[in-house]
Amino acid sequence: MDDVAGAVPEKRHRGRESRRGDTGTVSSLGAAARQARADMWRDVLPNAWESILSRIRSFEYSQKNAVLVPAAALGVGGMLLYWLRSGHKIKTIDMGDGWWGPGERPLKGKEDASIRPFKIETSDKEIEDLHQRLDRFRFTPHVEGAAFHYGFNSTYLRKVVAYWRNQFDWRKQVEVLNKYPHFHTTIEGIDIHFIHVKPSYVPHGRAVRPLLLVHGWPGSFYEFYKIIPLLTEPAKHGLNEGDVVFEVICPSIPGYGFSEAPHQKEFDSIATARIFHKLMNRLGFREYYIQGGDWGSRITTNMAQMLPQSVKGLHLNLVFIARQSLGRLICIMLGAYVPWLVGFTREDVRRFYPYMQKNVYDLLRESGYMHIQATKPDTAGCGLNDSPVGLAAYILEKFSTWTDKSFLRQDDGGLESKYSLDELLTNVMIYWVTSSIVPSMRYYKENFSKDPDLSAHNRVGVYVPTGIAAFPQEIAHVPRVWAKDVYKNIITYSYMPRGGHFAAFEEPKLLAQDIMQFVQKVEQL
Amino acid sequence: MLLSKGIYSGIMLLEVLLVLGTLLIYFLFSKKKEETLPFKDGWWGRGQKPLTKEDSSIRPFKVETTEEELSDLFRRLDQARFTEPLENSCFHYGTNSVHLRKIVSYWKNQFNWKKQVEILNKYPQFKTKIQGLDIHFVHVKPPRLPEGRAAKPLLMVHGWPGSFYEFYKIIPLLTDPASHGLGDEHIFEVICPSIPGYGFSEAPHKKDFNSVSAASVFYELMLRLGFNEFYIQGGDWGWLICTNLAQIAPNHVKGLHLNMVSVSKLGLTHLLSVLLGQYFPGLFGFQDEDVRRMFPFLKKGLYRILSESGYAHIQATKPDTAGCGLNDSPVGLAAYILEKFSSWTDIEFQNLEDGGLERKFSLDDLLTNIMIYWVSGCIVSSMRFYKENLQKGIGTQKHEKLTVQVPTGIASFPNEILHIPQAWAKKKYTNIVSFHFMPRGGHFAAFEEPELLAKDILQFVDKVEKEQLWKKKGE
Repeated sequence: MDDVAGAVPEKRHRGRESRRGDTGTVSSLGAAARQARADMWRDVLPNAWESILSRIRSFEYSQKNAVLVPAAALGVGGMLLYWLRSGHKIKTIDMGDGWWGPGERPLKGKEDASIRPFKIETSDKEIEDLHQRLDRFRFTPHVEGAAFHYGFNSTYLRKVVAYWRNQFDWRKQVEVLNKYPHFHTTIEGIDIHFIHVKPSYVPHGRAVRPLLLVHGWPGSFYEFYKIIPLLTEPAKHGLNEGDVVFEVICPSIPGYGFSEAPHQKEFDSIATARIFHKLMNRLGFREYYIQGGDWGSRITTNMAQMLPQSVKGLHLNLVFIARQSLGRLICIMLGAYVPWLVGFTREDVRRFYPYMQKNVYDLLRESGYMHIQATKPDTAGCGLNDSPVGLAAYILEKFSTWTDKSFLRQDDGGLESKYSLDELLTNVMIYWVTSSIVPSMRYYKENFSKDPDLSAHNRVGVYVPTGIAAFPQEIAHVPRVWAKDVYKNIITYSYMPRGGHFAAFEEPKLLAQDIMQFVQKVEQL
Repeated sequence: MLLSKGIYSGIMLLEVLLVLGTLLIYFLFSKKKEETLPFKDGWWGRGQKPLTKEDSSIRPFKVETTEEELSDLFRRLDQARFTEPLENSCFHYGTNSVHLRKIVSYWKNQFNWKKQVEILNKYPQFKTKIQGLDIHFVHVKPPRLPEGRAAKPLLMVHGWPGSFYEFYKIIPLLTDPASHGLGDEHIFEVICPSIPGYGFSEAPHKKDFNSVSAASVFYELMLRLGFNEFYIQGGDWGWLICTNLAQIAPNHVKGLHLNMVSVSKLGLTHLLSVLLGQYFPGLFGFQDEDVRRMFPFLKKGLYRILSESGYAHIQATKPDTAGCGLNDSPVGLAAYILEKFSSWTDIEFQNLEDGGLERKFSLDDLLTNIMIYWVSGCIVSSMRFYKENLQKGIGTQKHEKLTVQVPTGIASFPNEILHIPQAWAKKKYTNIVSFHFMPRGGHFAAFEEPELLAKDILQFVDKVEKEQLWKKKGE
């Protein structure tokens, strides 16, 4: 019996060596062992441990090493191998391909990959037409005490229209827009517009990093005009955040502004992410930082999921959360009373609760536009492409409520407390002169009909270094502990002291500082 | 042993009593109350209510137009800016702009607004001030009444994006049924008001003008016209306003006829019947036609609501924003309104390049309805009605918790946006005298199938009148 008991452990630690050779003996040994094992476990178990120990104790010290060291090395090696392999099991989104030009994709010929400089222009005719439409705007009086609760207040709208007609100078604004270099290039059949701003002067020893900034709706590349100088020349603006200086690329999403609108259906954020990767590639960049809010947040997230090796860092000022689950629901209920238990900070609690009010009622109240744009964009945008005042009311209502929810109570929607009419109207003019309101709305349908709660790629996760700037007046607050579900590698998460949805437009310095702080940390990794 | 048995049965009895008691309390308190809805008085004019008594005269009114109005319209149509639709998108993204261009071309070159205004004026129209607002209405009396007969007053209320004009084809069938082969047992005089904020009725200047306010205003109108007992008919917002009117003044409403019904209090029974109704229709009171129209529920119920209610969502939250551009761009207004005349007439019309618009309506009729919104500039105030009714949420208002005891007739059209079975409707409408599945037709019943609707109204009124006679005989 002792022999049989001894034979089994011996076989155990000789198993690996013997496996390679002698299959015949091993298999017959195996059969015998199995039979023996059946009887053995019944009788031998109490004795087996003792016998193993005595066997080990009986070994000489050197012999012990000869056995234990390779065993340990193999064990550790095995674990290391597993960890490394699982670490590289990052899922990515398939890049795919697309064609968005009119008609069929041409079979022959390579796409024109030239990058053509572009200047925004206007004409007397364009301005004359605009003025005529402003002059004949038909206004509807609002109910008494409406403020901004029924939407854009028509009394205040009259003032905005008067300014637009008499003081706003579109030619001057076009010059402002042209102060940064614009370009067009054709990708997947459509003309992509972008601005590319390089630092005019790079101090010795500073690296220049490429940074792609992506806008949203109802914004445009113009939202970044105030933050660009802070990123390309931080020292000049009192932002000495380390050694990094950026060259900034701000494209227009296809269908927005001066980018051609897709002619085919199903142009969504994945297609946009791919096109922007191709753009950066064409500009000669292999690794770059990307930043976005609103749709820009969605697109840059998809970019990080598609080609993580090209994205050095992802910075967001808005996070889209995935679908609600039972766990989340419990989190929500407990978080109000024992926030520490569910990972909420005090600031999370302050911004998140009362839950129903801030996350359900407020969202329902503010999402009518999203609902109609995601279902009937061509209807919703038709009148807006024909009435500049209607377009302004529709867009500026968002610049009011999404900057600060309390602006709803003000007769003038608090618009001029954070923005100048010139800036607001320039953004509206971009939608007007390019007739891009309808294609910009179609983007909602293309994205939401395929993926109603924008969670299809949440399981893919985001592994690139991520920085999140959480602004207090953002439409909905997402705590870090929830963002971690998708963004697995959050390097910075900052509670910003003030500001709303249009962060780059409203608080460029705060946002620039956060971006730089984030990039600093990433560079040191 | 005996003692313990006694205690045991005592406990049992207590338990039974407790359960019975709870059930009793539950039924007592959950049963929909049969009280009436209070009349909602108000002052909706500009500024403060004046101390002097309101002018209650009824003034004749005629729709008018001017050269200026027409040339302004044509200039806007000429300068309309269209956006090309996506390839092969038909009406899936909303109104197709290629087809819209054709309609605009017709509007500019063939549509004759002056002629349409004459058509609008063929029925006598009036205005009268109620609760501070000028209320517009059409009042058509029968052209001929047989000896000794009286016309039955019938109030017909339109909805959004319709108008009093929707009733122009059905009015002659009701005021002069004999000439249209419908028998002359019941002859009506028809009153079609415009909801305040729609068409030629003044828009409220104060907040909170909801369906109960509209019902109260129309109740005052009928009383002012000298009617003590009358029938009421409606669909879309007309459904809700007439329902409220029946709840406010059940003793004055002889009968309530609806071509649309909706339920706002959904409970466990509704959920169960949605899940299981396809398999056990009898258990939930569903008829075969109910099952055919309601299932598969995800497609015909949930998804349809989601894909078709974007307009309601934005109008219930930001009406002034939503309507602003539409009051400035007639093409935008047309696109917005025509989309509903397409998908609410038949949801399958979305798959057609022309949205099936001219299959059931003439362009003249469609454009006349749109012109009413355009020349009165009422699109924004018409949208505000959604906010005033829906802003507190669905199912929260007092009138939604009350039932209707007035004799009710329901004409259920197959292409209505949502089908509500009689089993669900009767929880609210406790006295359904007739419920018929109509063979064809959609949301705009009076506009699209005036004869079918007129017939159903007539048979309903017939039933009500006979029941009343029977009741009177029995007394």
